[in-house]
Amino acid sequence: MASTLTYTTAELMVVAGARALADGQVVVVGLGIPLVAAGLAQRTHAPRLRMLNEIGVVDFWPIELGVGNSDPRMWYHGASFRGHIDVMGMTLQRGLVDVGFLGALEVDVYGNINSTEVPLPGGGFRRFGGSGGACDIASLARETIIIVRHERHKLVERVHHITSPGYLDGPGARERAGLRGRGPSRVITDKAVFDFDPVTCRIRLQSIHPGVTPEELRASTGFPLEIPPDVPTTPPPTAEELEVIHRIDPGGRFTRQ
Amino acid sequence: MAEATERTTNKLVSLAEAAASVPDGAVLALGGFVVARCAAAFARELVRQRRRGLTVTQAIVGFDTDILAAGGAIARLVYGGGSLDHFGLVIAINRAIEQGRIIPEAYSTLTVSLRYLAGALGVPFMPTYSLLGTDVLARLEQVAPENVRRSTCPFTGEPLLLLRALQPDVAVVHVQQADVEGNARIYGPFWDNDEATKAARRVIVLAEEIVSTDYLRQQPELTLIPGFRVDMVVHVPYGAHPTSLYRYYDYDADHLREYVAAAKDPAALERYLDRYVYSVDDHFGYLERVGGVARLSRLRADPLRGY
Repeated sequence: MASTLTYTTAELMVVAGARALADGQVVVVGLGIPLVAAGLAQRTHAPRLRMLNEIGVVDFWPIELGVGNSDPRMWYHGASFRGHIDVMGMTLQRGLVDVGFLGALEVDVYGNINSTEVPLPGGGFRRFGGSGGACDIASLARETIIIVRHERHKLVERVHHITSPGYLDGPGARERAGLRGRGPSRVITDKAVFDFDPVTCRIRLQSIHPGVTPEELRASTGFPLEIPPDVPTTPPPTAEELEVIHRIDPGGRFTRQ
Repeated sequence: MAEATERTTNKLVSLAEAAASVPDGAVLALGGFVVARCAAAFARELVRQRRRGLTVTQAIVGFDTDILAAGGAIARLVYGGGSLDHFGLVIAINRAIEQGRIIPEAYSTLTVSLRYLAGALGVPFMPTYSLLGTDVLARLEQVAPENVRRSTCPFTGEPLLLLRALQPDVAVVHVQQADVEGNARIYGPFWDNDEATKAARRVIVLAEEIVSTDYLRQQPELTLIPGFRVDMVVHVPYGAHPTSLYRYYDYDADHLREYVAAAKDPAALERYLDRYVYSVDDHFGYLERVGGVARLSRLRADPLRGY
């Protein structure tokens, strides 16, 4: 039966993120697709999911989406207001964060992330925001989920600068370095979902979004990509999920583009 | 009650006096986070006084530090990252780093906070599991080898990173309420401010509102910084503008957009500084320049939501 649901790619990404979360988990989220994904999980299968904001806010429940972590809209109805040491130290480093969401300028085949700077073609470099809490989350959360726009210069063989550690240079590297968390579990893009091979630690295709062709996927990926003939299609949102997403992001600022 | 008041030392000074107490080359911990509760008026005053060569330390930089960078006041930045959230990047800081005018000593949110914590506790270092295996650490080993050391736990032998204690010369934070002695309340999350103020050798409190000592002592659990740790208090209404002050006022989105648009072009940024910093006499002149009471009253926070 043909689906009559219409949805955006961002909504598909939100749903992929939400379904990766389980009830009772503690997650670090930032504004954008991760916040909407966690909000969707809370309103469907994971009502006791707790969100943390690195600024020092625990278990907030925003009723408006603001401009970022510094916006009091992202602190609304918080259970506790403290500081970085409380959230990033006594909770994250303490080992109590199940999942952290991370964005990226570049992500590589081992899930390492660059958010610091990229070289310019004519020499020099362009500086960006740096780590913030991202390196701490990538080092210390049990698991991380990476959200990135699917472009050839963003999904690369090797990042120019490891701001946030994935599997570094392969199997055993995290353990040798002394990192605590397991590392990235998924990469969610606007074209596909990836996970990581448990033996080689290399990124691998998990599903392709509906309507994306293998040729398009290869052309927009900066590393050689194996596409199995039987690769599944990313499951689309349900009507209930879409209804909840529209309630969380009524203006569609993060989900209707 | 009267006796308690007699024990109070009045530390009120002007914004210009407070800024003048921070010399060229000082290590300055600034108290803002992105576009929240920034020490914006203090940063503008330092720029107005043409301060140079500062080392600024801050877990996450934002508007206050970007204005300082725009004014050429910063030589070195000890920070974990930062932006102006969805308004944009910290353009003036990033450009100065790209052009080699600011040396970045770049950590992460937790690791800057841990350096402050060690400084506040008076111990030489703090261990962490963060940064291990990254280029963030590799860069730090080049730019600040005196402040990071790979090591192992003396009990278990597991790998650790040791972060050297950071004790800034002065910490400057904007707070919602303080008395004239410096007992200070912060409403909302306080990010790195607890450790930064307690690590610093001197503390300057910028108070949105000056309240009585007796009022603060009715609920001392709300006082984050006790007055005896504070050296100077400045009364600076709307001192965080154009950033937000939880329970008092929202960020000024129009002004932040104006700033970001200007910051993209060095000549336009210089015109912004002329208009809002150099050509006004003081903070109150700035408040008139941005639109005065008519503009500021539109930013007042809703008492239920706090923004």
